[in-house]
Amino acid sequence: MKDFHTKVFSGRPAAHGIGIGKVWTLRDESSAVHPEKIAESDIEKHIGKFEKARELVSSEYEKLKYIPEDEELEEIIDAQIQTLYDPEVTSSVKSKIEKDQFAVEYAIFSTFNDYIQLMENSGSAWAKDRTIDIVSVRDELIRATKEKKKGYAVKKGEIVFAEEISPTAMVYLSRINIAGIVMEKGGLTSHAVILSQSLGIPCVINVHWNRYNIYDGSDVIIDGTTGQVIINPTWKQKEQYKRRREDEQKRFEKALEWANKPDKTECGSQFTLRANIEFLEELPRLNTHGAKGIGLLRTETVLFDSEKFNVEQQVEFYGKVLEAAGQNSVTIRLFDAGGDKILDDSSFEDNPFLGWRGVRMLLDKRKLLRNQLEAIYRVSGHFSGKVKILIPMVSRIDEIRSVKEICTNVMKNLARQDIPFDENISIGVMVEVPSIALMSEFVAKYVDFFSIGTNDLTQYTLAVDRGNEKISHLFDSFHPAIWRLIKITKESADKHNIPVTVCGEMASKPEAAACLLGMGINDLSMNTGSIPAVKSVLCSHTYKEMKDLSDKILETEELDQVYELLEGWRALY
Amino acid sequence: MVSKKVVVKNESGLHARPASVLVKTASRFKSDFFIKMYGYKVNGKSILGVMTLAAESGAEMELILEGPDEKEALEKIAELFENKFNMAS
Repeated sequence: MKDFHTKVFSGRPAAHGIGIGKVWTLRDESSAVHPEKIAESDIEKHIGKFEKARELVSSEYEKLKYIPEDEELEEIIDAQIQTLYDPEVTSSVKSKIEKDQFAVEYAIFSTFNDYIQLMENSGSAWAKDRTIDIVSVRDELIRATKEKKKGYAVKKGEIVFAEEISPTAMVYLSRINIAGIVMEKGGLTSHAVILSQSLGIPCVINVHWNRYNIYDGSDVIIDGTTGQVIINPTWKQKEQYKRRREDEQKRFEKALEWANKPDKTECGSQFTLRANIEFLEELPRLNTHGAKGIGLLRTETVLFDSEKFNVEQQVEFYGKVLEAAGQNSVTIRLFDAGGDKILDDSSFEDNPFLGWRGVRMLLDKRKLLRNQLEAIYRVSGHFSGKVKILIPMVSRIDEIRSVKEICTNVMKNLARQDIPFDENISIGVMVEVPSIALMSEFVAKYVDFFSIGTNDLTQYTLAVDRGNEKISHLFDSFHPAIWRLIKITKESADKHNIPVTVCGEMASKPEAAACLLGMGINDLSMNTGSIPAVKSVLCSHTYKEMKDLSDKILETEELDQVYELLEGWRALY
Repeated sequence: MVSKKVVVKNESGLHARPASVLVKTASRFKSDFFIKMYGYKVNGKSILGVMTLAAESGAEMELILEGPDEKEALEKIAELFENKFNMAS
């Protein structure tokens, strides 16, 4: 029975782009294998099956090493092949067949499960992440003993719905030219996500599709930029997204040509576009896409990649980022954990987004904060004048004072040890809680710059939980209230002569960026992929055209009017 | 039999990739190779064995080799730990 109701999920955007196609679900075929016994006369045959299966899977893995310039993938595949020929695995499988007289499937299944269990219990984050690789070797082997050919029934242009995708499965899928990926699990660091970004496959993660009846073959649209997944979209939605996808493709191709042109509007006024960065893998794109340094370096990966987050590891990470930024500056946002990005030891909260996150958590975990600040100041010694610090989730002025006091202490300590550092690092706050925007006139006295985070500012101003599917349609950064708060913040900054940047997703939409420029905010930070498109629009319009747009937007009463103006503006010029 | 204590110097520990390099190197030698850590002893030529150690950066372990080419093998393997398994990160 097919369900034709439109269903919308709101997941976490993981790889840019719009995918339109049909649902194809990747379900685990080999769930449990039962302990089946065999006759003594069959032992030889089952050992032979194991060895043949191993050859088959190994040759399939070899064929996967085709993506050029992806050494990491090659190493992952090498590790998979080593796992196939692991001497301990071999002797365990053989002994289970010879001594215990288990069928080959179960011998493989139970051998691998012992290791999977060990790794899951190891308490090491990477070991837990890697169990998916071992599970995939196990399942491939079991499948091969049945002499079934490897094959995903997924067809070109379909959108894969999976719980999680192993790196090798991901490579198979990318060869088929799928139109998108929706995963239930998986972090932004998972190889599947990084690979989909580099291959340009739209991807949305943390979508709990599995709890609903989602049928293969249903129409689906995914938006890797906003995280929306629409099952059984209406005709109108389909047309809308098709248009957007075409526009995006055309614009992107054209826009890349703009990357190296000067950052000036048609009438010659200057602007600066910077990149929002989270992973080292993103750094090579800074130059090709025309980013002038990094306006927002998210640092939470440091927390998740290693359990210790010691100072040296951080110094190395920040150092690499600053090196890639060259002459340009890097704004490092202090750990913004909590909320949706939960630290291991945080207890459950009813309203995590209104809870213990950002600076609130940092001020409770002083050692974590001190270590991070120490790492940042140490790095600043090598990159004087290029490092800026951004404090997240500030809602009260005293939080700024507390962080600054710790900065002073950290500097004193480094001076005592004769370690060089930049003593004039700019310290700014994220304007993402409405209280700070409303009080910005006073806040400006205590900070060196403002950075407006439009995603959270929207969530807190409109009282819409970003993660709640029922109300996700109410989440819209273009709401007139958000423009007003931005305006207030800009005016306060001007009064105290401090710079303002916008680093939320809003800035990555060309018309919105134009409107922000019209409001006098000429320093914008966004995901690297959006920079060329934004730049092309800013370069080809005059400041006056943008000012006209922003003046009108600030007079709107309703969201629809904002959209009319933004769309109309594009058509007008 | 020869043995040596070493420390994992890689930033992210002895994860899949370094484990793969380690096993590849060790498998080139005839000698048996074991790794001892926190009372565990695993076959150093078994990638799953090495991975289940889940050794983080800074972890100490003992390399034990026994066989005709044990000295040369130990030297080469200890060198890998020293060079962080030739990984960029």
